[in-house]
Amino acid sequence: MAFTEPVLTKRIPLDASQRKLIGYDDYVATGGYKSLKQALEMPPADIIKTVTDSGLRGRGGAGFSAGQKWSFIPKEKKGPHYLCVNADESEPGTFKDRYLIDHDPHLLLEGIAIACLATQCDIAYIFIRGEYHYSAKVLEHALKEAYAHGIFGGDGVLGSGKKVECYVHRGAGAYICGEETGLLEALEGKRGWPRNKPPFPAIAGAFARPTVINNVETLMCVPHILERGPAWFKTMGTPSSPGPKLFGMSGHVNNPGVYEDELGITLDYAINKLAGGMKGGAYKASVCGGISMGILGTNQLDIKLDFDDVRFRGGCLGLGTAGMIVMNEHTDMVKALRNCVRFYAHESCGQCTPCREGSNWMRKILDRILDGDGKAADLQMLMELEKTMGIMPGTTICGLADGTAWATRTFINKFYDEFALRCPEAPTKTIPLKVSSGRLNVLTPMGSNTR
Amino acid sequence: MPWISEDRRHTRVAEGQPLLTESLKAVLRDKYFPRYPSKRAVLLPALHLLQHEYNWLPTQAVQEIAEFLEIAPAEALDTASFYEEYWLKPKGKYLLQVCRSLTCELCQSEQLRDHLSQKLNVDPGETTADKRFTLVELECLGACGTAPVVMVNEVLHENVTTDRLDQIIAALPEDPHDMKDPGMTWDNDGH
Ligand SMILES: Cc1cc2nc3c(=O)[nH]c(=O)nc-3n(C[C@H](O)[C@H](O)[C@H](O)COP(=O)(O)O)c2cc1C
Ligand code: SF4
Ligand code: FES
Repeated sequence: MAFTEPVLTKRIPLDASQRKLIGYDDYVATGGYKSLKQALEMPPADIIKTVTDSGLRGRGGAGFSAGQKWSFIPKEKKGPHYLCVNADESEPGTFKDRYLIDHDPHLLLEGIAIACLATQCDIAYIFIRGEYHYSAKVLEHALKEAYAHGIFGGDGVLGSGKKVECYVHRGAGAYICGEETGLLEALEGKRGWPRNKPPFPAIAGAFARPTVINNVETLMCVPHILERGPAWFKTMGTPSSPGPKLFGMSGHVNNPGVYEDELGITLDYAINKLAGGMKGGAYKASVCGGISMGILGTNQLDIKLDFDDVRFRGGCLGLGTAGMIVMNEHTDMVKALRNCVRFYAHESCGQCTPCREGSNWMRKILDRILDGDGKAADLQMLMELEKTMGIMPGTTICGLADGTAWATRTFINKFYDEFALRCPEAPTKTIPLKVSSGRLNVLTPMGSNTR
Repeated sequence: MPWISEDRRHTRVAEGQPLLTESLKAVLRDKYFPRYPSKRAVLLPALHLLQHEYNWLPTQAVQEIAEFLEIAPAEALDTASFYEEYWLKPKGKYLLQVCRSLTCELCQSEQLRDHLSQKLNVDPGETTADKRFTLVELECLGACGTAPVVMVNEVLHENVTTDRLDQIIAALPEDPHDMKDPGMTWDNDGH
């Protein structure tokens, strides 16, 4: 396995001062839209098979097989199909999709066009979070170019008669719209309340029609897979998590930013080789893919950043979006957790009681502990609450509550002493609690119930 | 979020001229209606459009949008009140948005918030007496690699320090519509 050259970022210079927006002409001059022409020659089933064979797993957090997801869309068409591109990117620590869109928007548009051919989608909506004003303008601009060059609209993709429309749909500031069915509700002009499943979006999604929902980075892998083949894609990454991946490095590192490498690099490599090492003190902990995934502890620098090792050996919910928030030895873990929990308490959509009330209780308890009034019972209550919320215990509609639970669980398990110290009379332990990964095997992580 | 009850004392009911003017209706009709199979799906774009025009969303605007999209006013308000970006009460000309999520907090965003709070003599959520600034804290802006970040209206500022913040504020034009996104190198049609 080796990562020898950038793939998704091949058009984006490493030197930030050299970066610019890659327009249609530059994109085509560097081999762009070649894969789309290739896709037009292929029956849809072949495109899906190629993507399935590549082992591409969703980059939006759940890591579900992209080809398999596409194959759930009914082959027989009885009305329109829709593609929703998830560019809501609101998970703290995550900024890779914005990076890709801001520099190379046509790679996304090419991926969208191919995905629409594969799944017979008539309209693609790029659902972008409202705060990404600049990125939305970049996309509008790129779309104008793409329409002018016959990629979308008109007589079909490059005159083929297979017509695809593509529009930008702006969100309006709600993390929950990143959850795929919350996204669909927002698209339909409603509050972003996640839906109970089934029906799954592949059967009845946007406007009750079959709908594919994919992350930006997932779709951007597709043109490369078509061009260079599944076998090439698998030369990168690990057998179960193949391919290149963007890692968003932020927090206490010398060179924060987005870095492309292969799946399965170690956390140590990501921090010291990619992000230029620790800043302001020794390594203490790192959020491993957006705060919802939980935290990797001080002795876990050897964890491989792929979809499995982070879960099974790392004791976290998963790799998520691969947005690492790195913390040095001076970080107050109680305060860091309070920040995460406040986020969930604020962003819970309010439909499910355990999520709405639980996250607010947790926030209040953590406020109290930080104010110096912590008690042993507070810590107990936090740990009890954490077990009662989420899809995995089966008490909520969507995975936001699982994020709350996993952040809380891993922070407390891995840095128990720090919490115990602030809650007098809590039993202290010097050996961190073992993180149970047993429950994970029963159900897969958030969002992967995507049919 | 919607279940947090809001102060609605600023609510204004229909009065005077329509806010959803014929030209704004034309934008919705020509540009947005063809995009979606239902009229209701135009609700988010319509709210964005009117807020862009008036800086906030008076109840009258929400009502007029509902009528135009053929949905109940309550349905439109239900949606509008869910999303943080829609202001159902007036806000200042400039919205100073300080990110408070984890990376930014680790990179001292609290200093930025306190600095603004002191400088403008307002708490987060409040507007200055001259109605020029509203200070808010919000969650991760997707720019953690350049934390801490502050967004002023639609323009993101990265790697912000208190000194840079002072410069940014001093450089703001009188009329927010004159503000340019320095990153934009092409013409934009405005909507
Ligand atoms: C609370 C919550 C927030 C989410 N936010 C995002 C997001 O911002 N962007 C994203 O691509 N996926 C997000 N997801 C995952 C999506 O539900 C979905 O799994 C993903 O978009 C599917 O695309 P993929 O298969 O290409 O990864 C979120 C999930 C949950 C439960
Ligand atoms: S788990 Fe939370 S965010 Fe998800 S639907 Fe329930 S209340 Fe809403
Ligand atoms: S935490 Fe501030 S931009 Fe992500």
